[in-house]
Amino acid sequence: MKRLPFLLSIVLALASIASLLASPAAPAESVGSGGQTAVEAKNAPKVSAGGEAAAKAASANTSLLSGHPIDALASYTQLLDSPQFARVGSPELWCNRGLAEEKMGDPAAASLSFRRALLLDPGFVPAQQQLAVVLTTLGLPTPSARMSRLFTMLSPEVMILGGAVLGWIGLFLLVVLLVRGPRRRGYIMSALLALLLGHGASLIGSLIDPRRSAEHEAVVTAKKGPALRSTPADSATVIGNLAPGTLITILSQNGAWWYVSSGSGKAAQQGWILSEVATPLLPPSCALPSRG
Amino acid sequence: MCSTSNTGRWNNRCVTGKMTSPMNSVRAKFSSIAFSITLMVGASFGPAISRSLADDVSVSARLTRPQINFGEMAELQVTVTGASRADVPQEIPVEGLQIRLTGQSTQVQMINFKVTSSAVYSYIVLPLRTGRFTVPTVPVSADGRQFRTASLPFSVTDPGVGGGSSPPTAGLPQQQQQMIPPMPGFSQRQVPPPRPQENGRVAFGEISCPKKTIYAGEMVPVEIRYYFDARYPVQIRGKVDFGSEGILVERFPDPKEGREERDGITYNVLSFRTLLSAVKPGVIDIPAAKIDSEIQMPGGMPAGFDDPVFRQLLGGQSPFVQARQLAVKTAPLHLEVLQLPKEGRPTSFAGAVGQFDIDAAVPNPRVAPGDPALLNIKIGGKGNFKAMGAPVLIGTDGWRSYPPSDKFDSTDELSYTGVKSFGYTLIAQEEKHQSPGAEFSYFDPINAKYVTLTMKPLPLEASPGSGGGAAAATTAPASPTVTQPQPTPPKAVVSPGDPIPGITLHSWWTPAHRPAFTIISLLLLVAAVILGGILYLVDLQARGGTASSRRKRRLAELFSSLTEGSLDAASAYEAALEYAELVAPPSEKRESLIASLIQRRDALKYGIGGTVALTAVERGSLLESLRDLSKN
Repeated sequence: MKRLPFLLSIVLALASIASLLASPAAPAESVGSGGQTAVEAKNAPKVSAGGEAAAKAASANTSLLSGHPIDALASYTQLLDSPQFARVGSPELWCNRGLAEEKMGDPAAASLSFRRALLLDPGFVPAQQQLAVVLTTLGLPTPSARMSRLFTMLSPEVMILGGAVLGWIGLFLLVVLLVRGPRRRGYIMSALLALLLGHGASLIGSLIDPRRSAEHEAVVTAKKGPALRSTPADSATVIGNLAPGTLITILSQNGAWWYVSSGSGKAAQQGWILSEVATPLLPPSCALPSRG
Repeated sequence: MCSTSNTGRWNNRCVTGKMTSPMNSVRAKFSSIAFSITLMVGASFGPAISRSLADDVSVSARLTRPQINFGEMAELQVTVTGASRADVPQEIPVEGLQIRLTGQSTQVQMINFKVTSSAVYSYIVLPLRTGRFTVPTVPVSADGRQFRTASLPFSVTDPGVGGGSSPPTAGLPQQQQQMIPPMPGFSQRQVPPPRPQENGRVAFGEISCPKKTIYAGEMVPVEIRYYFDARYPVQIRGKVDFGSEGILVERFPDPKEGREERDGITYNVLSFRTLLSAVKPGVIDIPAAKIDSEIQMPGGMPAGFDDPVFRQLLGGQSPFVQARQLAVKTAPLHLEVLQLPKEGRPTSFAGAVGQFDIDAAVPNPRVAPGDPALLNIKIGGKGNFKAMGAPVLIGTDGWRSYPPSDKFDSTDELSYTGVKSFGYTLIAQEEKHQSPGAEFSYFDPINAKYVTLTMKPLPLEASPGSGGGAAAATTAPASPTVTQPQPTPPKAVVSPGDPIPGITLHSWWTPAHRPAFTIISLLLLVAAVILGGILYLVDLQARGGTASSRRKRRLAELFSSLTEGSLDAASAYEAALEYAELVAPPSEKRESLIASLIQRRDALKYGIGGTVALTAVERGSLLESLRDLSKN
């Protein structure tokens, strides 16, 4: 009977772990944009990923391997545009789509696909390497190798969820120790440390997660680099140029025009471009509820 | 009908290119009025034309020759009709064939104010081996919509084995066969030549080609000149119509204008220069290069105006002009096309014909571990830059390479001379100190032999870094045939550049943006609070409740024992003392009562009567004083 509180806290901690780990694949919104329920949104990809979707992906991979990137690209596009991939994505599929686009001679579109793969899994090494290759081909700077290695070792998703679990365990232990005892300083300090470290790691993971800022980012996918203009008008002064494949941040919008920034330091530039020359980093189907 | 190489220029080209003689101001006014009307019509119908162009888009593809001999080339034409803007791939990947985009031409036609435009994208098809092939569907993006052409069968035969090449027109549809030009000069004999005026010609054309015998794939500069009598205003209708089955004609740059005197007549001269190449061996007769023009010729006086006085007032010339439509033609061009020799063809030959040189550079000779290195190979000279393949890398062991990017910088307006740069991206798979070498082969048509240029490896420090091993580790979970990572060297389960098998699912949203994460976090916070509360209550219960409740319970017990009279006298005063201490806060009255109770208890305890019960009077008095204290 005396151990009941400890058992209770362990059960609650385990429940929290199970809940948090079960949540990442699909958001539990009641109804999705395509009319999917939460259960469908969560379960459908998992079921299909092992069945029809996996078969289609394997077929597309075979087309790509046998030198038919046109057919492969069509299959990947069809697969990724299907409702089952509206809320979740597959880094493998996006990476393979990028390979097909690269073989089709469209490195700017390929860079977008590789960036989307890395958005889903920042530590996905094949996408990291292919993106570096494509950006080098386009004459653009490659992403920081240090950050790529960091993401390879520690995924932001793992940091956020693992940190949250550790933090909640620390909180439950602290409650039990303070209320029920034993009120030994060593125990209490350990629980407090677990609480702070866990939620601290979760916070850091959220800050470095590339998905956090992806909502306002886009990639220049026009084959000819567009001009940056001083005002949102065709006749406005050209103040710079953006190379195809450039990652841009959308600062504001005015009709069909975007006010964007690119680069950093001395290479930073800001100006207006037509929205049709760039593609948002997040696919339209997975826009956050706040964006509609 | 206007024909041009650039969709954005066709309208402009139709109304420009006008050459006006400075002599006849009156005629010039008439011409300028006509010019203005043309402009107004163009401006009025421009939007309507654009709208109509966007409707009814169709895409088709055809091979000029569905069967060729090895060593010959064919042409693939992708025609996009009715689109204002189209996008086609630069290269069509087919194993055993090299299919590269070489040029584009556009035709715009207006019939009864209905405009249709057709853009024809020409690909050169170079076989790398014999066999039967299928040219795959070509994806075409037109006006924001996606189209695909039908796939086409294509076969390459060995001339030494099968009966040689099929006739140029074999297998072509009937409509296409009708398009094959007639025998040289035949059409000219059917159409009467322009009527000479005043012992000269109003307009005529000339064509010059430096070579009459060329090799398949060889680029030859061609100059077409049109002469127009400078005395008459001329309006050019459309662009040069020049071409034939089996040849590729590059885009015409803007013509040069000049003046030249022939047989005592001054002519305005329009010079067009372009490049021509043949895709199949044999004799080719290219029909005359034609350009449509409208010449303002002097007309006769209408009735009532044919008066000598009136004519004298106008300077002896008629103010009325007669527009004459004239198709100005050159002589046909006769070419003999030779097949590239099979003997001595290097394995690295990829279609380059001309005279070239090779140069290479490594922009960054020291790259960070795991980072890609760039090798730039430049092919300079003159020849068929658009159709040439990339140099072949040699000594690539320990390197992972990707198909190169290419960029052509022309040094002339025809893109005949220049430098084509190939950028190879390389990733070291092991410690490397020099780049791969490269080999580039071309056919020299002047010396009629193949030449192979070799580039030696360049100093380049590169190492695989930690990413190579990580690649294997990362791709491993997705692969059904995963094996344990080997210590050294790291071997990827999936070859670089190959598709990654398997599907893993990840959310596009960070956990903080997921409602499930927020809800679960709030629930856990509530659970922690509830747990703390439950534990506190359990502990309280174990300790017998709060101090107040414990005090009240004790007071009730003490008062009950006093009223029952079950206690002896000493014990009763002991209980009364405890009651007095618990029932009221410290005060003078309480201290006084406690002092009297202590005195009486001690007297009973250490004196006589402590073990007997209190009398009813004394117990009543005691209870009364305690009640009195509790009321305060």
